[in-house]
Amino acid sequence: MRLFAIFLAAAAIHAEDLATLAHGVLSKNCFGCHGAALKMSKLDLRTREAALAGGERGPSITPANPARSSLYLFATHQQNPAMPPGKKLDDGDLDILRKWIEAGAEYPAQQLTQKEQEAKAAMAAMEERPITAGERNFWAFRAVARVEPPTAGNPVDAFLRATWSQSGLTPSPRADKRTLVRRAYLDLLGLPPTAEQIRVFLEDSSFKAWENLVETLLASPHYGERQARHWLDLVRFADSGGFEYDNDRPSAWRYRDYVVKAFNSDKPYDRFIREQIAGDELDGSPESLIATGFLRLGPENNIKNEMTRLDELDDIVQTTSLAFLGMTTGCARCHNHKFDPIPQKDYYRLQAVFFSTKSDSLPLVDAEIVRRYNDETRRIDAQQEPRKKTKAAIEKPHRDTIFEENVAKLAPYMGEAWRTPAEKRTEGQKLNARQIERTMKIEEAEIVARMSAAEKASHAAEVAAIRKLDRQRPKPYESAMTVAEQGRDPIPSYFLHRGGAGNKGSRMDAGILTVAAVDGLPTIEPPPGATTTYRRRNFAEWLASPKNPLTARVMVNRIWQRHFGEGIVATPNNFGRKGEAPTHPELLDWLAAEFVRSGWSVKAMHRVMMKSEAYRMQAGDIEANRKIDPTNRMVWRMPRQRLDIETIRDNMMAAAGTLDLAVGGPAVLPYIDPALFQSSSKRTWNGRPDTDRSTWRRSLYVFSKRTIRYPMFEAFDQPDMIASCGRRNSSVTAPQALLFMNNAMVRMHASHFADRLRKEGADPARQVEMAFQAALARQPSQAELERSTAFVERTPKGLLDFCQALFNLNEFVYTP
Amino acid sequence: MMQRYFSRRDLLGRPGGGVAGLAFADMLQRERAGAALLDPLAPKKSHHSGKAKALISVFCYGGVSQMDTFDPKPMLDRHAGEALTGKGTVTVSQGTPGGLMPSPWKFAKHGQCGMDVSDLFPHVAKRVDDIAFIRSMTTLSNDHGPALYQMNTGFVGAGHPSMGSWITYGLGSENENLPGFVVFTDPRGGPIGGAPNWGNGYMPAAFQGTPFRAAGDPIVDLTPPKEVQGERQRKWLDYLGAMNEDHRKRNPFDTELSARVAAYELAYRMQTHATEAVDLNRESEETRKLYGLDEERTRYFGRQALMAARLVERGVRFVQIFSGGGNFQESWDAHWDIKWNHETHCGETDKPLAALIADLKRRGLLDSTLILWHGEFGRMPISQRMDGRDHNPDAFTVWMAGGGVKAGPVFGSTDEFGYRAQENKRAVNDLHATVLHLLGLDHERLTYPHLGREMRLTDVSGNVIKEIVA
Repeated sequence: MRLFAIFLAAAAIHAEDLATLAHGVLSKNCFGCHGAALKMSKLDLRTREAALAGGERGPSITPANPARSSLYLFATHQQNPAMPPGKKLDDGDLDILRKWIEAGAEYPAQQLTQKEQEAKAAMAAMEERPITAGERNFWAFRAVARVEPPTAGNPVDAFLRATWSQSGLTPSPRADKRTLVRRAYLDLLGLPPTAEQIRVFLEDSSFKAWENLVETLLASPHYGERQARHWLDLVRFADSGGFEYDNDRPSAWRYRDYVVKAFNSDKPYDRFIREQIAGDELDGSPESLIATGFLRLGPENNIKNEMTRLDELDDIVQTTSLAFLGMTTGCARCHNHKFDPIPQKDYYRLQAVFFSTKSDSLPLVDAEIVRRYNDETRRIDAQQEPRKKTKAAIEKPHRDTIFEENVAKLAPYMGEAWRTPAEKRTEGQKLNARQIERTMKIEEAEIVARMSAAEKASHAAEVAAIRKLDRQRPKPYESAMTVAEQGRDPIPSYFLHRGGAGNKGSRMDAGILTVAAVDGLPTIEPPPGATTTYRRRNFAEWLASPKNPLTARVMVNRIWQRHFGEGIVATPNNFGRKGEAPTHPELLDWLAAEFVRSGWSVKAMHRVMMKSEAYRMQAGDIEANRKIDPTNRMVWRMPRQRLDIETIRDNMMAAAGTLDLAVGGPAVLPYIDPALFQSSSKRTWNGRPDTDRSTWRRSLYVFSKRTIRYPMFEAFDQPDMIASCGRRNSSVTAPQALLFMNNAMVRMHASHFADRLRKEGADPARQVEMAFQAALARQPSQAELERSTAFVERTPKGLLDFCQALFNLNEFVYTP
Repeated sequence: MMQRYFSRRDLLGRPGGGVAGLAFADMLQRERAGAALLDPLAPKKSHHSGKAKALISVFCYGGVSQMDTFDPKPMLDRHAGEALTGKGTVTVSQGTPGGLMPSPWKFAKHGQCGMDVSDLFPHVAKRVDDIAFIRSMTTLSNDHGPALYQMNTGFVGAGHPSMGSWITYGLGSENENLPGFVVFTDPRGGPIGGAPNWGNGYMPAAFQGTPFRAAGDPIVDLTPPKEVQGERQRKWLDYLGAMNEDHRKRNPFDTELSARVAAYELAYRMQTHATEAVDLNRESEETRKLYGLDEERTRYFGRQALMAARLVERGVRFVQIFSGGGNFQESWDAHWDIKWNHETHCGETDKPLAALIADLKRRGLLDSTLILWHGEFGRMPISQRMDGRDHNPDAFTVWMAGGGVKAGPVFGSTDEFGYRAQENKRAVNDLHATVLHLLGLDHERLTYPHLGREMRLTDVSGNVIKEIVA
């Protein structure tokens, strides 16, 4: 605003005066319809925020730009609707409005009494919550310090070895090659190795065999699918909007595919962050815009008001903090964070980063196709209009008759209200008469039943013509969910005392977590012609800064968790005081520093972790170690983890030979027993039968509907996609067992598995061997072979039962 | 979602919640000592001795009209068709507000306590001396989804564990052969908001509600294909068990692996037990009639109510029955023609509800079973769409019976039109605190860690409604 003040000084008008003058013009001419009593077009011009937010026709004022302010364009009759209705302001008033908008459209400051001023100052003081040096010194907020590994060799081993010897732990011996190949495939791809893939690795006797395997897997297109699943948990991705309507989001999968591609191409993680927070402010490429669909992934309330908007923003602030920073900020919506040095003000500064965004759709087709779509829609609307009028005219006399008959059936006081002349109606009668007028529903069939034959014929002709035109409507073009803003100027947002929408405090600028500020919020200015505030861009720069103490640590900890079952910090989404401290702080920092040094390469992190001896340890117990470290926090063995249910399902189909390995594309809807979801007009699930091969895709592609969850996934702790999930629960329940014992889909794939075995080997012992190879990537022991062969031979359908049993083995559903 | 990862081990060290300061090694010690700690639903000690051991919630989804059922408002007759004034802005959820609308039903006094009940509930009216009514309930949202979530999970947003999850988390289940938390939905459809209404939120899946069907197999995938049943499945389980045992030897201390073996045996037993639990042919003709199983109108809900009684009898901790499903007139959501709507839904449930109270009593289970009857909000005293009523979050009636409730009295009141709670206004958190209290749980101590906070069913507020506790 300083610039404008200078300009105004030259023009010899004080800003305050201008504001007062403009307010006078608005109050005299506009507030009648856009003020306290009425809000025509949902527009309220009484406050700056409301005027900027605008109404049904969008924002009414673009500060500093009269030519883009509909208020000015309507008032000068440059655009319709010309305002105020039926008159034009005189040139003097228009001049005031123009100058006022150019000067930033500030409203006059309200005159406050001394008492009010004191109260305001006291409230403002309550917003402050200084951060102490001690708080800044908490491990997670200190700068990452790269400490060189204590010994040569793989750095992971070097750091771990130091703690083992300190604690008197013996590391678990190296696992055999068959265990390792399955472990690597499950970790990186989420798929079992095929017989051929196992053979290649077993026969590779070079010292680089392991390295070759890791590189092969990192280059697989399925690597991105597996990593995307982890990421989608963090950003609570779903294919529908949740809440009452739970509307499907037919293009949500484009964000999912973006994530798959990002991991496959080893997109630098800092770039990955920038694209998701501010892709539109980076290069605006379709890829970046789809990435920014991150801001659209949360549940969306069908009710739109200030409170639900604040809830949506809360969801974005929380998810962003949890996913990228491993920090819980939700508590700071209503008060300073109780455990971490996160002032409430930080929360509202983060909220301000996202406050100006609105939903937008990115057409993924040529502009020509969009234009044709719009033209066609307009043509059809125009051609239908006269038809609809004619149709209504034919209906009218009958509709009126039925209407009166229906009124007569209502409670006596309702009929009386209706019959009383409008000007004589009491307040109650006015309400009831209006209710009758607006809510009386008459079915078209009822009207048609009363028509003469001739009327029926002409009515039917109009209906047919309208329907014919409807059939010509163009198919909606492909698009992606993204966001936009209304201009360079942010929509003002405020500190909210106790989180209440009505308790506005100071106006908030965009900000970051003060305790992890580094150099503060970057200050990239929006370039000329920018249509956004660049608040998100600057925030993203801070998030993705190598100096940010949280970002790299949080991400390497997640990658570690994927390989070693538990993070170096056991609470991946909480690096605050209520979270767990790192078990190996120096290793965590070395990894974080190395991550940044590698150009934020996620694949580089897999390499350094997987090439360690630690990763190749056996999972078996060592009793002596358990006495010292029963929970394996010192990583002296590879822990056994239950696979996530998506991987279990994928492995089942992979072993059966039924899995369709196609990558990407729209989600698929497998069968759900109707007893398990209850369709209504608002929510439904059109699942394909189990036998439909189009549903035999990887679980990543199963449609994720927030209120109708895929039962198998739900039973096995798939998160509900309402909030960010950094680590899944792993519960063991009887319904899980029932599902894998009795479900027809499971049995069908077992049957395909059996067919496959029969085709490849006639002799039961050979079949058992092949089955072990396919499901468990190993040979059966002699005892297993005998027991299993006997089981297969015992009944005519023994092979099928045996195949299904393999899907149920602990070994099948736990990491090796 | 979860911050700290809790294995069953951790959970089991947390009797009824509250972070127990048990050292991990100690827990292992107890496990090795052979304590039955493998099952997250194993019975746990309550905070205090509550009379109620089980809860049956009858959720009248859509919202019941208080002034047409249990909260008579003669002022509506006197001021029929007049505007509702002097109460501030009247907020409607949709459409155009009308004038005050009298109830189409007559009220009469019933029982020793002289409770007012309308013609809609002739059978329940005979049981009022077993019931405690709260007329002054309020909730936060006038929108179905958020209000349902609040009633079931304590929060208007999705993603929180439901009351059944909290209760089974706090108390476990008394019957290891059946799920601890069972849900019956209406044949016309489920409630708005879907599965999160009985979801486990951020808790482990062991605490989610299991949907039961009122006809055929009670649980999806309960019964194996015909050819596998019996001996063949037993052999299959034996083979599986032998294979798993070999695998387990490599990790003898991993209780999760053993738990999974146990889960298969439990599932096997559940096949028999769940089928038996809902087999209504085992009930006498007289009992079946009592619940209205011989009448078309009451049969469906009657079956569910009788199944609920049988499940509770077998140690199931929480059974929730949704009356009403889908949208609008399929549920209690009487935006228009309330006469048809409430006559339909009351007609389906009145007789079975009264039967449930009477039947539990004669089975000796009413003292230990809390019945909670409620919707997600109430309805407006003014008309909507001429002969219906809109949502009203500011006043509604709920009732409780059995389970340590002080029967007879009416708690709280609404204003002269039933528009807003007036005396002893209570929130959903208070209701939850009371239900937990009756079950022997302290709502402030029943906590679960999530996103850095110790979460509660009652969030940060809630007081036990002592006046209705015996």
